Amino acid sequence: MFSYVFMKILEGRPKSYDRWMDRVSRGRVREIKEAVAAEIKPGDRVLEIGCGTGELSSMMIARGAAVDGFDLNPAMLEVAEERLRTEGLEGRLSLLAMGVGGMDGLQTDLYDAVVSTLVLSELSDDERRFALRQASRALKPGGRLIIADEVVPRTRGRRILHALVRIPVTVATYLVSRAATRPIQDLVGDMAEAGISFGSEKRSHADAFTLVVGRKESGP
Amino acid sequence: MSFPKTLWGLLFRLFPCPTNLGLRRIGNPGPESPVLVTCNFDLTVKRLTRALRGVDAWLLVAQSKGVNVWCAAGAEAFNTASVVSVVKTSGIAGQVDHRKLILPPLGAPGICAEEVERETGWSTHWGPVRAGDLRRYLEIGCRRDDAMKRATYGWQERLDTGLGSLFGFYFLGAVGFALFGRPLLLDYLVVGAACFAAVMLLAPRLPGRRGITKVLFLDVLLGIALIATGLLLDDGGQHVRADLIIAIIALLFFGSELGGLSSTMRSDLDPLLARLGIGALGNAAFAGTIRTELLNGERKLRYDREACVACHSCIEVCPRGVWVEGEDGRAEFARPEACTACRACLVQCGPEAIKAVVTVK
Repeated sequence: MFSYVFMKILEGRPKSYDRWMDRVSRGRVREIKEAVAAEIKPGDRVLEIGCGTGELSSMMIARGAAVDGFDLNPAMLEVAEERLRTEGLEGRLSLLAMGVGGMDGLQTDLYDAVVSTLVLSELSDDERRFALRQASRALKPGGRLIIADEVVPRTRGRRILHALVRIPVTVATYLVSRAATRPIQDLVGDMAEAGISFGSEKRSHADAFTLVVGRKESGP
Repeated sequence: MSFPKTLWGLLFRLFPCPTNLGLRRIGNPGPESPVLVTCNFDLTVKRLTRALRGVDAWLLVAQSKGVNVWCAAGAEAFNTASVVSVVKTSGIAGQVDHRKLILPPLGAPGICAEEVERETGWSTHWGPVRAGDLRRYLEIGCRRDDAMKRATYGWQERLDTGLGSLFGFYFLGAVGFALFGRPLLLDYLVVGAACFAAVMLLAPRLPGRRGITKVLFLDVLLGIALIATGLLLDDGGQHVRADLIIAIIALLFFGSELGGLSSTMRSDLDPLLARLGIGALGNAAFAGTIRTELLNGERKLRYDREACVACHSCIEVCPRGVWVEGEDGRAEFARPEACTACRACLVQCGPEAIKAVVTVK
């Protein structure tokens, strides 16, 4: 959990972002990305919402996918572009500087999968719902939406536990980086509203973290 | 939750105080009602809502990381993407028949109006600088006179921004005295508050254009007093001298901040920190930014009159009236001395007739 908030501090220094994230999360962030990448099949055309330094994009390409990634943070994209050159990902990875507000420009029914890790919890409710609607539109019928993010735990006891652990970390992050993320209330509900039917969900970290896979309902 | 947040916003403005993003109704708005855009600093949204009492309007609260329009735009936290995102995701298009956005002009260093238009299909219009002028601006058909375009720094604004930015430091100082200099705590509280009031209220009357030169004048006077008390007073003078030293330091501190608190003065602190090698504090970068380099003289604004297309964007957004319309309709860089290096004109200039070029070192 500490790692999600530390993320906000590290975004100011994109070059060492992945290395530090891995350290403060004791490898968990990498594990999360690996779990997301494991859902990708060879030949998939994938959209990554908020690709950051392109670490997950690179993992998915290693599995045989072609990835379009976008991010709002130009400094992060610079690192991703460097990765694109050094790892020889030309032709497999295309990067775009935009926020979720630009997703209405994406082609309809194009992607086999849309993925996003630790991005939706940074958005406002409006932005998150918009991003999910647009992701749904950009997916081919039957295409998969794979989201890994921080969520509100399902049971009351865990919610209280989660809040207690989170508050001091959130305050510390706020004081240092002046930013915070917000766990998502009802991710599966938001996905359903966007026309994505529930496939599977794996919760971890005291029920406060989820990996959800949904599927775009095919045709009316 | 509302009052503590207001108080926090008033006294600790160096820390963000965010409010929810998205669409809000002011009064009872309909499909013809104006659409205003602002930042998501809690206090700004509250003040704006109060200033619009009796008006029917839609208010789009856009991402600025909980910081006010001017500061967030300067740090590019309130930017084109924030506005594009709230316009597209809030569902405002389904609420109104027109496609006209009213943007806060102090956000111009962060928001490129032309890009917002291109990405949203909405037309953009700069509103008045002060929320207090909004009602009149709307009443006269969204037109602005020069006074509505210019930033001011009246005594209320000076007290407001001064309190918001300096109270935290004043408070820290008090904690310091309480822990390590208890006998002087009361002196510090009184002298510090008096110095704050003196700087904020007397600022326009003190000689010099910059905050630091203004307080240097006061400090020289206090320095003379310090020497005089050394010569004239015996043992009893120690206390007075301690107070004078507190005042001299407090004035220097408040004065060095003064420029950074207003859109009407050049900042002294950022270029100073950059020169001292302090490139960034937290996520606030000083070194390497165009603004700091303009302030330090490492860059200069260069205006290519031939490239100007007479769109008047620069004239519309400059809070200082630096740009005026020339005889042929093109912009003229008429009052460079009034420029505070906010970059608003640079960001808006489509044909890049205005550039910040690196000067020879």
